[in-house]
Amino acid sequence: MEIYLKLYGSSKMLNDKEILSIELPNNSNIEKLRIALDKMISKKYLKNNLENLSKTAAFFSEADEVVDDNYKLKNKELISIIPPIGGG
Amino acid sequence: MTLHTAIVKAEVDNISLEKAKKFIISEKNGAETIFVGRVRNENSGKKVIAVTYDAHDQAALKSFQSICNDAKIKFDKRSSIFLEHAKGYIPVGEISILIAVSSGHRDEAFKICRYILEEIKHKAPIWKKEHYTEGNEQWLPGHSLRPKEEIK
Repeated sequence: MEIYLKLYGSSKMLNDKEILSIELPNNSNIEKLRIALDKMISKKYLKNNLENLSKTAAFFSEADEVVDDNYKLKNKELISIIPPIGGG
Repeated sequence: MTLHTAIVKAEVDNISLEKAKKFIISEKNGAETIFVGRVRNENSGKKVIAVTYDAHDQAALKSFQSICNDAKIKFDKRSSIFLEHAKGYIPVGEISILIAVSSGHRDEAFKICRYILEEIKHKAPIWKKEHYTEGNEQWLPGHSLRPKEEIK
């Protein structure tokens, strides 16, 4: 299955575009997405201080609500990655 | 209307102190507090020239409204609140956040302003990337919205 990850904050270093397409095994959940992200970061992006991103990020569904690790992803679903925040 | 919240895109508009003052003025309220946050020219020994703010607009606005309504319930239901946060490239000296509050009395006005600022830092999905004089840039660390007990 394929999901679309909308990038915010430091996660924008993962791709030049605002949306990153990620291939996951069918019936994956957020936990599987974290594992896939962790692999991607450890292969390519360790220099960019992103090593903790897969653990510290929260995820929002299309309804802009935080979803937990058991949340079942749907094929072609758009999910927002929410790295640690710091406005003001 | 006693509540205004917005994410202001730098390429479209500026945050206006005058607009905030006009919004909160009320004959019912005898106290006003205004907090203006501006981009500083230094952070942790590095010379900063600008900050780029990123935001999840819908969720940030939702959190602004929830925080402001909580503040009203907690401190003064009749208060007026104006809250705007910048998004995009903001040079040193420009406004990044403005919180203006009018309330019945000074204590509540100060408390509401402080409460909103601290809550935003911990709840609103907004991020900042500093740009330095040397030409490099860095996303700043922040507060995770993932429950602490789930982070292993």
